[in-house]
Amino acid sequence: MYLPSGVYHEAYRADHAWWQTTFVRAKMAFLVLFLIVGLPLAGNYPLSVANIIGYTILSALGVQLLIGYTGQITLGHAAFIAVGGYATAIGILQYGLPYPVSMALGAILAGLWSVLFGLPSARVKGFYLIMTTMAAQFVTVDFIITNYVSRVGGRGQSFSLPPGTITVGPWVIDTELKVYYLMIGLVILCTTGMANLLRTRVGRAWIAIRDNDIAAEMMGVNVVRYKLLAFFVAGVLGGIAGGFWISSLYVVSPDHFQFSWSVWLVGVILIGGVGSLHGVIFGSIFVTVLLERLQAAVIPLSDAFPALSTGFLYIKEGVFGLAIVLFLLYEPRGLAYRWHQLKNYFNLWPFAY
Amino acid sequence: METLLQLVITGILVGSIYALVALGWTIIYKCSGVLNLAMGELTLLGAYVCLAFYTWGFPFPVALLATLIVGFILGLLTERLFLRRMIGEPILAVIMVTAGLSFFFRAVVGFIWGTDTRVFTPQVFPTEPVRFGRMVLGQVYIWSFLAALVLLVVFVAFFQYSRWGLSMQAAADDEMAALSLGVSVKRVYALAWAIAFMAAGVGGTLLGNINGLNISVGYLGILVLPAVVLGGLNSVPGAIVGGITIGILQNLSGGYLEQLTPGGVKDIAPFVFMVIIMLFRPYGLWGWEKIERV
Repeated sequence: MYLPSGVYHEAYRADHAWWQTTFVRAKMAFLVLFLIVGLPLAGNYPLSVANIIGYTILSALGVQLLIGYTGQITLGHAAFIAVGGYATAIGILQYGLPYPVSMALGAILAGLWSVLFGLPSARVKGFYLIMTTMAAQFVTVDFIITNYVSRVGGRGQSFSLPPGTITVGPWVIDTELKVYYLMIGLVILCTTGMANLLRTRVGRAWIAIRDNDIAAEMMGVNVVRYKLLAFFVAGVLGGIAGGFWISSLYVVSPDHFQFSWSVWLVGVILIGGVGSLHGVIFGSIFVTVLLERLQAAVIPLSDAFPALSTGFLYIKEGVFGLAIVLFLLYEPRGLAYRWHQLKNYFNLWPFAY
Repeated sequence: METLLQLVITGILVGSIYALVALGWTIIYKCSGVLNLAMGELTLLGAYVCLAFYTWGFPFPVALLATLIVGFILGLLTERLFLRRMIGEPILAVIMVTAGLSFFFRAVVGFIWGTDTRVFTPQVFPTEPVRFGRMVLGQVYIWSFLAALVLLVVFVAFFQYSRWGLSMQAAADDEMAALSLGVSVKRVYALAWAIAFMAAGVGGTLLGNINGLNISVGYLGILVLPAVVLGGLNSVPGAIVGGITIGILQNLSGGYLEQLTPGGVKDIAPFVFMVIIMLFRPYGLWGWEKIERV
C-alpha cells in the first residue's frame, strides 16, 4: 500500500485501519454521499439498475468467497439464493413473521443447506466438486423447490407476494427507492462483514486452503472444518441475496434461480477479478450496465429489425458469454487488477515506477 | 416384468445416444484435458443445422453428412479461436471459457431458430411401431440406436486403426513423448474438438427426431456429465457404458419413482446417482485412479 510521505502510525490499530489518510476518508465520504443522496435523485430507472447491481453483488459475494478465497469452485450458488428467497417468502406468508426475522432465518437455512452440499468437498475437489455443486442446483431448484416447496399452502407453481407484504419495521418496501435503501444497507453490511472476516484467522485459513490445501493442513488448519465454514458463510450470503431479491418481485418462482444464474455469477466474478472484493462490485456493475446499455442500443433498431427485440434475451446471453470468453482470453485477472494498476499509475505519476 | 423389460430396452436405445455424446466429451477431456460444459450447446447446434438442411429439401442421410461436415469445421474453428489459447490455464478459467461458449452458442441457436419446438417434417423414420412379443417400440428409437451404434463403431475404429486416431491416443497417453515422436499435438486438440462437435451433432439430431427439437435438447449436455463421471472421465468404453447406464436409470426412475412424487425425478436421478458414485468411487469404472484427497 502506498502512503504519502509523512504519514506514519504509532499504534497497530491505526496501521490496520481501512482508511488511513484524509484523502481516502474524503473519497469514501463522497462515495457514501453519492450512494445515499446522489443516486436517489437520478430517478427511477437508474435506481432499478442499481437494485439489479446490488442483487448481483449480494449473490456474487458468496461465489467469490468460495471460488476466489477458498478455491472451491461452485456452479450451484443459485440454489442457496433460492433457499433464502423461498424461506423468506414462506416465513412471511405462512407464518406471518416480520421480514427481517424471516430473512435472517432464511439466510441461516440457506447456510445449512449449503453445508449439506459442501460435505462432499471433504472428499473431492476440482471437477468433481463442480459436479456435486451442479447436482445441488438441480436437486434443490428443479426438484425440491419446483415440485414440493412451490406447492406449500396449496399454491401452484409460484408464490405471489401482494404489494405491502414486505415491511421493515414501520416501512413498507413498495417503491424502487425503498428497495434501493434496503439494498444499500445490505450491501454495505455484507461487504464490510466479509472484508473484515477475510482479515481474521478464518479468512487467512481460507486463503491458505485456496493456495495449497496440503500445506494448509500441515500448518494446522483444519481443512474440512474451514471448507464447511466457507460453504456456510457463502450460503448465508446467498440466502441474504435471495431474501433481498423477493422484495422487488411480485412473484417468486423457480425460474428466477436457474442453473444459468449460477454460471452467470461465476462469470461476474471472473469479469470482475477472482479473489478480490472489488472484483465482485466491478463485475456486477460492468455486466449489469453493459447489458442495460445494450438494451438501450437495441431498442431504436428494433423498428427496422423486429427480430432484435423478440430475441433480445438471447442477444443478452450471447453477449455475456462472449464477454466471459474475451475477458478470460485478454484480461484474465479481471477489472479489479486493471483498477489496481490504474491506481498505482496515478500514485506514481509522473514517474513510470 | 413386461414394463421392466420395456423400460430397460428403451433405456438402452436412448442411452446409446447419450453414449455418443459422452464419447465426444471424453475425447476432448482425454486429449486436451478440457472439461467441457458446452456439450449440450454443441448438440443443439448440430441438431438445428441438420434440421435446416433437411427442411431445405436434402434427403436425411445427406443432411446428416452435411451436419457432420459443418460440425467438423465448427470444431476446428472453436478450438483455434478460443481453446488453443487456454492451454495450461487453471481449471476454472478453462471451464468458464466453455461455459461462456455455451451461453454464446445457445444464444445463437435461440436467436436464429426461436424457442418453438420443431419437428423434422416429413417424418424421417416410419412412425409404425415395431412389436417384439408384447413389447412395442417406436421405429425411431431403433433407427437412432442403429445410427448411434454405427457411429460409435466408426469412432472407436478410428482411434484403434487410423494414423490420426493413433496419434490422438499417443497424445492422450503422454503428451511430451508424443511431441518428441513428431505428433502434432495442436492438430490432435483440433481433431478432438471436431470429433466432439460431430458426435454431439448426430446425438442432437437423433434426439430431436424422437422428441421434437427445442432449446431443451441442450439439457443432454448436462446429462452427459453423470455418464462420463460413471465411466471415469477419460475412458472411451466407460463413456459408452456410462451413457447407456444413465439412459436405463433415467427410464427406470421415470417408470417407477415418478408415481411416488409430484414429478421431475427423471431429470435429477442421474445427478443423485452421480453424487453417490463420486463419494464411493470418484474415478468411475475405468478412469485414471489419481484422485487427490485432502
